[in-house]
Amino acid sequence: MAYLTLADISKNFNKNPAVEHFNLDVEKGKLVSFLGPSGCGKTTTLRMIAGFETPDSGVIELDGEDISNIPPNKRNIGMVFQSYALFPNMTVLDNICFGLRMHKMLKNQIVPKAREVLDLVRLSDTANRYPNQLSGGQQQRIALARALAIEPRVLLLDEPLSALDAEVRVVLRGEIRRIQTNLKITTIYVTHDQEEALSISDRVVVMNKAHIEQVGTPQEIYREPKTKFVATFIGTANEFHGSVCGKDSVKSAEFLIKTNNASLFADGDEVFALVRPEKIDVYSYKPENIDGNVLEGLVDTITFRGAETRLGIDIGEKVITADVPGKDVFSYGQRVWVAFDSNACQVLK
Amino acid sequence: MKTPTKGPVFLRFLIVSLFVFYMLLPIVATYLFSLATRWDRSIMPEGYTWEAYQTAFNLSYFRITLKNSLILSIASCLVSFIIIVPTVYLTQINFRKFRPLLDLLMIIPFAIPTVVLALSYVRVYTFQPITRSPFLLIMATVVYTMPFMYRSVSNSVDAVDISVLTEASQSLGGDLWNTLTKVIMPNIYPGILSGMLLVFATVFADFTLAKLITGAHFKTFPMLLVEQTQIDGNVAAALSVISFTLAWGISMVLLWFSSKASKSKKAQPSDKAYIGK
Amino acid sequence: MAKYRREQKKNFLKKIVGLFPFIIFCLAFEFVPIFILVRDSFSLKSGDLTLQHYQSAFEPTYLKGFWNSIKLSGVTALIGTFLGAGIGYQIFKWPNKKIQSTLITLSDVTTNFAGAPLAFGFIIILGSAGVVTKFLLNTFHWKIYPDFSIYSFTGLILTYVYFQLPLMVLLIIPAFSGLRQDWREAAQNLGANKMEYWRNVGIPILMPSMIAGYMLLFANAFGAYATAFTLTGLRLPLITMQIGSAISGEVMREQGHGQALAVISLLIMGACIAIYQMGTNKARKWSGH
Ligand SMILES: Nc1ncnc2c1ncn2[C@@H]1O[C@H](COP(=O)(O)OP(=O)(O)OP(=O)(O)O)[C@@H](O)[C@H]1O
Ligand SMILES: [Mg+2]
Repeated sequence: MAYLTLADISKNFNKNPAVEHFNLDVEKGKLVSFLGPSGCGKTTTLRMIAGFETPDSGVIELDGEDISNIPPNKRNIGMVFQSYALFPNMTVLDNICFGLRMHKMLKNQIVPKAREVLDLVRLSDTANRYPNQLSGGQQQRIALARALAIEPRVLLLDEPLSALDAEVRVVLRGEIRRIQTNLKITTIYVTHDQEEALSISDRVVVMNKAHIEQVGTPQEIYREPKTKFVATFIGTANEFHGSVCGKDSVKSAEFLIKTNNASLFADGDEVFALVRPEKIDVYSYKPENIDGNVLEGLVDTITFRGAETRLGIDIGEKVITADVPGKDVFSYGQRVWVAFDSNACQVLK
Repeated sequence: MKTPTKGPVFLRFLIVSLFVFYMLLPIVATYLFSLATRWDRSIMPEGYTWEAYQTAFNLSYFRITLKNSLILSIASCLVSFIIIVPTVYLTQINFRKFRPLLDLLMIIPFAIPTVVLALSYVRVYTFQPITRSPFLLIMATVVYTMPFMYRSVSNSVDAVDISVLTEASQSLGGDLWNTLTKVIMPNIYPGILSGMLLVFATVFADFTLAKLITGAHFKTFPMLLVEQTQIDGNVAAALSVISFTLAWGISMVLLWFSSKASKSKKAQPSDKAYIGK
Repeated sequence: MAKYRREQKKNFLKKIVGLFPFIIFCLAFEFVPIFILVRDSFSLKSGDLTLQHYQSAFEPTYLKGFWNSIKLSGVTALIGTFLGAGIGYQIFKWPNKKIQSTLITLSDVTTNFAGAPLAFGFIIILGSAGVVTKFLLNTFHWKIYPDFSIYSFTGLILTYVYFQLPLMVLLIIPAFSGLRQDWREAAQNLGANKMEYWRNVGIPILMPSMIAGYMLLFANAFGAYATAFTLTGLRLPLITMQIGSAISGEVMREQGHGQALAVISLLIMGACIAIYQMGTNKARKWSGH
């Protein structure tokens, strides 16, 4: 039995769909992230859960109860805003106490509880400061503490780290995940950073143009994308556009790509064959005895990325992206052969 | 999200209407009165005539005071420009640390009541030919309008990072003159111009400084207006209309400017606090 | 080394020379006059130090002047602050953006209608021979004079509020737009209802702007001269009128009492502007700019 259920939610702004037929079940204690390009409806969905927007149709259930008609201040759903939205007129401690006071907690329990969550985010020493005396990362953690203090039934985070430096983001997302797992709090995490989504989520909801493209664990999303959008939005993929030819290959203008995954389609269907860069091997000689695809090309671009090197290989029709170990050396214009297994090649409509 | 209920909408309408009524009442009354033949028995004037304007134009002092006020306003604009623009520029380029000090210096005149300014000038500059001269009056109006001239200029200077522009121009071989006229000015002139317009409107409407510093030696338009309120109401109304229409026109130009010059921020409301009071 | 230092000194001189006009101007027309004003308020003609001028500043005539000025400024600033904030809020919430910007423009333009033209506008309407006065008399046989008079303290309040209101409207609308939507939502999200939001978040965040507004309005009224001069002449003593009279020498006395009055006024205005400045700084800091 799912803890939070969104059933067929739709929302339009001035006749433009912001969210369409959104269906999602979230289990208790899990962290689910919404991932998608800008404007795809992530924030709108989150705001409907929090109660700031009313769905045009559909039902939102929390713990078996339809919450659609409960005003936001009675939902007990905590939210962390992208801009933190800390009250500038209150100290850190007062900010955290605010929610507790609004929930009519007993006076003598408020401050201890606030200090407890402040400890949780490791910022006890900032209790008496004002928000504008804190760094962005600190403000973010206070916003988290403030939302956690009221022990919300669901925690919503809308791109909580987007305003921070790359380094701080990595630290804080670990922190958020740690706290979330410890408290076993059901969390929805909005981001458009795929690495962030893949690294901290139990499940990922990939959205595009107001609808869900795919829901799955990070591994599923990465390894078995269900749509071309997911495959190209998450990580990098080389795509070959063509038509299905027999049970085991895709024929594009110039190439015949062998694949084990074409059996779902009928002969002649327009499809894409997709290969991830790290599934591609690059040889400086023509490899023998390879059961799969071998294409010949010239090295066009070389991008050193530390442990690996990303090559752009011009194979005439298009440029293929391949990741090779950083120790392998290639030079511009070098003739190379790229090879990938027929298993590595996904076929999607 | 929720559509407001009828009650608050009605209340809002009522409050705002009353406000608009109150704001327009004396203005409309002045315009009508300047044109009215007789207006004491009915709610609207009984007839309309240009007579008051004719009388006003024919007043012996009309031309002189108008000329004096225009000279005064233009001179104040120019002096204000000369005193403030290079100062802001040079401080920003060479003494950026001292900008806060400059900010403070420039806000001080806000705290000096005009009568106090006038009193101090009259008591200090007691010697000829400066005492109670138009020159002294110009200096007073420049001090008095300094805060908002400064704000207009400094806002536009801040908006375009003047030091980077200067360095860029110098690195390309531009000398000071070229830097100023070809690079800096085109970037900050909307702010300067709107500041000068505000100075113009304020100085034109000023009664207090002129009356107390130069008095009858150098009669300005507002002084004529105040004098006429005791003599001929319709003429005073006509003078009011002329003076207000001018200020209003300048305001419109200012608004137009601030909407055009998106870079330079709008004049702050506090800048207009002291106009003519 | 020495040469280098000399070069540096020359450079510095070259840089600072451009600031001389401003420095000289400020000294000559701002600081020296004010300094001498303060000095004179403490000294006799003979040059001896004295507090005599301040004693005379506390004579009943001048106390009355101060009291009238403070009362007038205090009352009209209070009315202006609260009515102006209320009207500003209604304008801020006005759904039609075109009408909203027209209303803001109206406030902007009416701030230009001040001083003598304003006073005279009210004389036209409500003066002893004013349009409304006459109309009420002729049509309803209602004699509003002498119970009401535009030349009185009440009349001054009515007139001053006219210029206070639009100023406050212009000051407060940015403050309302500075109230961020997500503060309201965060408060709601943490369980606050509308009232609780306003009491704990909205009003406290507006407070610095309100206080700043009140102070600016107070200073605005306190320093005003032309409006009252046109309306009441010298009949109703305000401190600015009394200082004005000291200039024209209408009151022949030992010089210096005018300076004492001026110094006290300067202190009052200075305090107002200082608080105004602190308020706006705080509001700016809170809104994150
Ligand atoms: N209040 C509103 N009024 C009108 N349109 C809106 C409103 N809020 C959102 N939209 C529109 O709905 C769509 C979805 O917006 P939403 O804010 O949910 O996107 P998002 O996925 O959160 O994007 P981002 O990553 O940029 O935050 C967008 O096209 C947006 O323009
Ligand atoms: Mg968003």
